Formats: sequence, structure tokens, C-alpha cells
Amino acid sequence: MIINYMNLLRLILLVFIWITPVYGNSIYNLIKIPNLEIYEINTENRLKYFYAKSSFRLGVQKNIICENSNKKDLDDKYKSIYKNLNRYSYSFLKKINLKYIVLCENLSISGINTAGIPDNVMKTLILDIKFDQKYFERVIHHEVFHIINDQHKELFNENEWKKFNDLKFKYAKCSTCTENLGLDEYEKTKGFFTEYSKSTVSEDMAEVYSHIIYLNAEKIKQIRNLDGILNKKISYIENKIKKIDNSFIF
Amino acid sequence: MIKKIKVTTAEKIIFYFLILLAIITFSTFVVIKNKCLFIKNHNPQDINFKKPNNIAILNAPCGNVIIELYPDISPNAVKRFKRLITSNAYKDIAFHRVIENKLIQAGDLEFGKKGSLDYGKIGTGKSGLGTIKSEIDNRFDYTKGSVGLARTFKNDTEDSQFFIILQDEPLFEGEYTPVGKVLYGLEILKKIKHQRHSEYILRPDFIISFEMLE
Repeated sequence: MIINYMNLLRLILLVFIWITPVYGNSIYNLIKIPNLEIYEINTENRLKYFYAKSSFRLGVQKNIICENSNKKDLDDKYKSIYKNLNRYSYSFLKKINLKYIVLCENLSISGINTAGIPDNVMKTLILDIKFDQKYFERVIHHEVFHIINDQHKELFNENEWKKFNDLKFKYAKCSTCTENLGLDEYEKTKGFFTEYSKSTVSEDMAEVYSHIIYLNAEKIKQIRNLDGILNKKISYIENKIKKIDNSFIF
Repeated sequence: MIKKIKVTTAEKIIFYFLILLAIITFSTFVVIKNKCLFIKNHNPQDINFKKPNNIAILNAPCGNVIIELYPDISPNAVKRFKRLITSNAYKDIAFHRVIENKLIQAGDLEFGKKGSLDYGKIGTGKSGLGTIKSEIDNRFDYTKGSVGLARTFKNDTEDSQFFIILQDEPLFEGEYTPVGKVLYGLEILKKIKHQRHSEYILRPDFIISFEMLE
């Protein structure tokens, strides 16, 4: 009886495969994310922007989820995303392996909301356009740093970085293994820009990088003068980025 | 006196039915079966080319596909492509991956050769010349008819396999190394054997010849 059911199932599957025509989906073939459409592909630095036409799930356990947005929200957010990402040159983006930006909303991984998911292997950065506006622009650069870090792991040494901190300080085991998730900038920095910086080395690096990019030069100069630890961290990030692309302008 | 027999209506219907059946049978076996019917075959000798030394002629089952190669855009890739063409390496190689009205792919010299096709490995074969670096920095408009070198998931893995797109693919720019564009014969490529349910083709069509014009 069970064998009969199995055979029937096989037959149904075979018929299904047989009658399902092949449609090549270029976006899916390139970045393996379903339900995407082109938003803008003719950009100065050749970044290609896609949006979710309907919600999608990713990952082996389908634990990454993101939903589609309405056009007005997309149009509004695209302007600031474009402005922020347009400061990266084509040659720099090529060196860090970033080419595709996916715009969607309510992005989460295993039920935890996140601003972005970087994937240097697929050259893709997924951005949640509904992420808190207060931090949104800076967070774009934070996510770009993760791409940089993942693509150039050999440059960013976690043990070297840890030595900048007070000897007693210890990072959490992972970015979500802590309650320290605040993104507000400290008034008195004491070696860390935000509470979230204290979660892991790579998040700390990403926070330093995003502040260097986002804050104006005068403000960074002030912070460097007031905070010896952050001064070292900023220099470290700047040196490493220059190693990737000597023409990079902060 | 011979008595004239009157044809009945039923006999008339049967007669017309038989004629109709004969027409359908003829159409099925001659007209429809001949996929190359009504396809114009271009003779490269009848055409004046600006750069004849960059013209390659791919002879497919329905005729000639005339391709202009772009060494200015991808010098190394075109050099490799020309080398394979002039050494006759593509003769009898399968169009192993075909997506209707979208893309055709060929050039697996190891597992795609007529007579020794390996369906389990086709698409993974090598030329024996090694891989070359991707040339994807120059701007290139991937409009239909564009020819590019296929690669694995990673860059710098181009070898002998190539594809020709049958529709515009703007996202291919910066992803795949372009080598040229079809000038004539796109309709011939559309007649290459494809299957609705699979990209990889059982009993595929083969490249009859692939030669440089000069």
C-alpha cells in the first residue's frame, strides 16, 4: 500500500516536472533570491538595485524573511540609500565584492529584526527600508563594512583590535547574545561609539567604520582628541581600508 | 449501357475526410517536422564586413550564425575564443544548455562532443588550455545576440564554453565576459533544439562547424 502511494507520488512529481516549463530568471540565477524585480540598474558606480515584488524566505532553514514594500516607501528610501552608497566608487565596490542591493521591509533572521544582511559571496546586501530612520543612513555603512570585513578577513585581526580596549573589557559571544543592542551614540564614548559596539569585535569595527563615514570630519577629529581608544580604532580602520583601496576618501 | 452510380453524401464526407487527413499527415511529416523551413540562411561571402578578421561563422543545423568578435572589449577572451575556433575545436560540440527564447550555451569540449556525450558531466568539461581571467570592467550592452564566455560560480574560470543570449540581459554586464555579438542568424539560434521542462538537452543539436571568415 505504502509502495503504491510512493509510486503515485513519484508519478505526480514526474508529471509536475514534465509540465513545468523552464523560465530563466536572471536575478534569481545571479543572487539566488526569489521574487525580485529591477528597481534601478543604471547607476554611476554600477550598483544594481532590486526590490522584493513579494515576500521571500532564504537560507537552508528559510530563516531569513523579508517582505515587499509599496512603491512610495521604496521611492522615498531609495534616495537616501543611493546618496549613501553612491560615495563608493565602482573600483572599491569591485574590491569588496558588492554589486547588488536588495530593498525590502521587515527583514529578520531567525525572528530577530535586522537592518541588513550582507553577503559578499553573492555580492549582495539586503536592506530593510523600514529600519529605524534615526539610524538608517549610518547603518547602511555599517552593513557595507561587514561586506568589507568578510571579503578581506585577513586584514582585520580581532586579537589586535581587542588590545585597544581596557584589559577588563570582554565582548559577548555573538551579536545577539547580549542585551547591548542600542545604536544611540554615547555622549562619553570611552572606547565605544554605541552600546551595540560592545557586542562583538566585528560589530565594534562596523560601528567605528560607519561613524567615520557618517559623521563629519570635524566631529571625528573631536572624538579622536577626546578618546584615545577610539582614536586608535579609527586609525586602524582607516589604515585597513586604505590597504584595500588607496584612493578611498573618508 | 453503363448505369451511372450516384455518390452518396456519406461517401462524399469520407472522401473529403481522407483528403484532409492526407494534408495533415503531409504537413506534420514534411512542413512542421522541418524546423528550418522559412529560415533565411546568410552567406557571409555576400556580405561586406568592416572588420572581416573579427568575423566568425557558426554553422548550426538551420544555417549560418555570423558573429562579430570584440577584441577591444575583451582581448584575452577573444584571443582564446579565436584560438579554439581556428583549431576547429567547436566542430561537433553540443548546444547542451538551451532556454527557449532566452539563451543557448555550447562549447564543452570534454563532455559535449558528438559520439561521446556524457550527460552526467556535460557543462563541466574543460578545454585543456586552462582558465582565463574574467574581463568584465569595460561597459558592454548585453542586448540580444550578445555572445559571452560562460564560467563557473566564480570569476576567472572562463575556458571554452560560451553562450549567446536571445533576449536583452542587462544584468549580465559586469558578470560575464563578452566576446562579441551576432550580426546575422539570430532566428537560426532560436531553432536550436530546446526542451520545455529542462535547460539541459537530451539528444541536443550540434555545432556543424565554427570558423573565422579570414
